Amino acid sequence: MNDLLSVENLTFENCHGKRWQHKEKRFTLGPVNFSIQAGETLAIVGANGSGKSLLAKLLVGLERPDSGSIYLNERKLEQYDNKHRVLNIRMVFQNSNESLNPGITLGSILEEPLKLNTNLDGRARIIKVEETLRLVGLLPEHRFFYRHMLSDGQKQRVALARAIILNPQVIVADEPFAALDPSVRSQTVNLLMELQRELGLGFIFISHNLGIVRHISDKILVMKHGKVVESGKTEVIFHWPKDEYTKRLVHAHQALINGQD
Amino acid sequence: MILLDIKNLTLEIESQSGWIKALDKINLVITEGQIHALVGESGSGKSIIVKAIVGAISDRWRITADRMTWRGQDLLKMSVRERRKIIRSDISVIFQNPKSSLDPIVTLGNQLKEVILATNLEKGMFWNRAKQRKKYASELLHRVGIKHHEAYMRSLPHQIPNDICQKFMIAMALASQPKLIIADDPTRGMEITDKSQILKLLTRVNQVRKLSILFVSHDLLAISSMADHMTVLYCGQTVESGRMNQLRRRALHPYTKALLESAPSFRTDLPPKSPLSSLGGTIPTFQHLPIGCRLGPRCPRARRECVKVPEVRRIHEHTYSCHFPLHRDQK
Repeated sequence: MNDLLSVENLTFENCHGKRWQHKEKRFTLGPVNFSIQAGETLAIVGANGSGKSLLAKLLVGLERPDSGSIYLNERKLEQYDNKHRVLNIRMVFQNSNESLNPGITLGSILEEPLKLNTNLDGRARIIKVEETLRLVGLLPEHRFFYRHMLSDGQKQRVALARAIILNPQVIVADEPFAALDPSVRSQTVNLLMELQRELGLGFIFISHNLGIVRHISDKILVMKHGKVVESGKTEVIFHWPKDEYTKRLVHAHQALINGQD
Repeated sequence: MILLDIKNLTLEIESQSGWIKALDKINLVITEGQIHALVGESGSGKSIIVKAIVGAISDRWRITADRMTWRGQDLLKMSVRERRKIIRSDISVIFQNPKSSLDPIVTLGNQLKEVILATNLEKGMFWNRAKQRKKYASELLHRVGIKHHEAYMRSLPHQIPNDICQKFMIAMALASQPKLIIADDPTRGMEITDKSQILKLLTRVNQVRKLSILFVSHDLLAISSMADHMTVLYCGQTVESGRMNQLRRRALHPYTKALLESAPSFRTDLPPKSPLSSLGGTIPTFQHLPIGCRLGPRCPRARRECVKVPEVRRIHEHTYSCHFPLHRDQK
């Protein structure tokens, strides 16, 4: 089976100082290699400042990698080819509350990517927006609402709606469950898994919550200081962690579950 | 010995549509050497309870309670000054976000030295005081597991990582040698290795010094690993309270059950990628609270009787307030 998205030797260097002067390296990411197939979920796990969010930004094209390549359906994504990329890889940002514009209605927020990337006319756009709102479990009337009228869970749904409105093949999410309360969080997890099953999305997400990672992901990528220290199938990593850092993570998680010792 | 005893604590906030009960008849009992967890989602009034205990609430809010005592002394009747004295010496609070609750322009060492009471130092002449303070501060830091204390004491809050900041907060809380520590969501947004370190630290402090901890959080995984009693809140009402293992084994209130089931880590029998059970709907805002049992509109077992507030019922140590509890249908 063909890979939906594969990444080869992706690297990124954050340099300090002007380009012609002596460069002082501050942070290097990579090389990162992974691949996912349609309907698969990849979880990125790691400490704060290990380059997880940076990797997500590289995938959606917010940052430009220094070397390496990203293949979507075995076609290389070039830097100038943003059209192809934005139609197929969409991102859900870390803080759904702040990533929504408070000044315009949700309908206009959701319409924006359609205006920029498709040739639909006004009426077709509204139909599409309503369809998507219904898909994520909101009402079509919600397109007249503003950000402050929604609860946390509903905001997360809108952020997700914005990601899937262009019928992408891959969704990249940066800590989508961190700010949510437990009961709302399980709703969102269910919604994501349902959408994935229906639309066959590839889903890449970053999370601290190893319980959820274990539950919904097929593969895991463990990162530390910008390097990938371990990657592989979820069950394998949770049962037989190889790297020292991964062992620590898994043991800490197990100790919390098993409770008072 | 009972340290803190709260019965029917009600806190009302005035809004455009009259007085709203932000806390509705909260009961909470903390005994010596106990780790008590207060669980609830955002907007359930966890932080307001913490503020009500230490008396840091606005004058315009109306607070009433049948009983709110600290080791037999009534906290509500005493003057602000007396109350502050008790709280200064016996209760410390670890606030939610360490970086924003520390002073950004004072070095951490000075902030830590500031909270050390003169009564905790050895007797000595005044010129020995500064040295003693410094020694006491570095001892505290060693106790919470900070190794390079010299460097950290000279730095400002923004210069050091989040988990070290949190440890500084714990050190400050321990400085006055309190009887009770209130930890308001101390592990929020932390990754799992840091989190387990902080939890181990709190557990050790509890065991070594017989300190009670009121642990406020919504992270059930963290709570279940350390707490021995748990009180569940929903929208300002106490839903269920009892021993941790009892609640985990047999939760009587539908909300507690939903909360426990929403964490996939607790369920080993759950196949991967299967849907998690969850309550429909979202948490109501304070302006639109339902009458009666506030879980009513979201509860799978709600019936007509649920528009009345259920009374607190008790089975041994386990109290719950629900008209139709789980596992007790036979009656």
